Amino acid sequence: MKARAVAGLDPDGTLADNAERIVRVRLDELCSFMPRAADPAEVAALHDMRIAAKRLRYILELTAPCFGPYAEKAGRQAKEVQDLVGEIHDCDVQIPETEAFAARLLAEDAEALRAAAGDAPDLDPALLRTAPHAREHAGVAALLTHLRARRALLFGRFLALWDDLERKGFRARLEFAVAERPGDLHISQRR
Amino acid sequence: MAKAAEIAIAPDEPYRAAAARIVRVRARELVEQAGGVLDVRDIERVHDMRVASRRLRAVLEIFAPCFPPQEFGGVLRDVKQLADALGERRDPDVHIDALTAFALEVPPAARPGVRRLVAEQRDRQAHGNEVLAAELERVEHRGLRERLLALADAADPPTAP
Repeated sequence: MKARAVAGLDPDGTLADNAERIVRVRLDELCSFMPRAADPAEVAALHDMRIAAKRLRYILELTAPCFGPYAEKAGRQAKEVQDLVGEIHDCDVQIPETEAFAARLLAEDAEALRAAAGDAPDLDPALLRTAPHAREHAGVAALLTHLRARRALLFGRFLALWDDLERKGFRARLEFAVAERPGDLHISQRR
Repeated sequence: MAKAAEIAIAPDEPYRAAAARIVRVRARELVEQAGGVLDVRDIERVHDMRVASRRLRAVLEIFAPCFPPQEFGGVLRDVKQLADALGERRDPDVHIDALTAFALEVPPAARPGVRRLVAEQRDRQAHGNEVLAAELERVEHRGLRERLLALADAADPPTAP
């Protein structure tokens, strides 16, 4: 996913002012994937959301000291989103790979059984014991079952995590924090 | 896992000065992680270098406006390509680890199938190592480290001692 361009960056400006512009765009980018990514079928949106979380995390890890104290916490929260969605992404990569692998084993076995049957009028089920991958199907099916169930479980955790971040005002608090500068803290504390 | 160096920053420092300083640190970290990265017996090395490449790519993107565009484009492409090659090796490393742990938990009848999957991943790992070896040679040949330092110097020339 190509990162959204950040307007108005000035190499001769201060680090804090430029970083603030970047964080605002990256934060908006991350939040823009919801509620679409809350649909378990929207695999691409979730993948893009992981990349957006990573970009927000990296800018905050580097520049949080430029801002109010919540920025550092928000960086950790972005990492939490990135890590969890990354685990889901791993399932989304492995499930089709394992399905393709299982299909390949089945096709090879079917072909071998057909050849073994020769001129027989029908296929003898006992031939299954001689299939080249006869002992391998169970493990591949077990892995596939595990991956699908794990994906569902992790996705539920992702929805709960995002809901929790929203309830705690993640977006509004980070937007506030990036407008603060460390020397201004006494001002924000009076608000 | 090797932790990235903490880099002190000042909110009021010029964006371009921070760019130069941070790129120098992250470029050095990438180079430092290259030792033993092709050794498949220690998969943490390739992981550490991949993390270093991601951090470097992130800072290049964060500070992009501070660098001369033409040189920057080529360096960023090379860093991305190196990160992709590290991923080609790292992905099967992770799968082998996970499948090996999974095999210990499943009933004995399911283990031959899982072992077959591990064997497939070993083949991918060997291929990934070849891709990575070629990429490491390529970035060395293209002088990636020197070009990164030149980018940093262009953003904020070092002051004479």
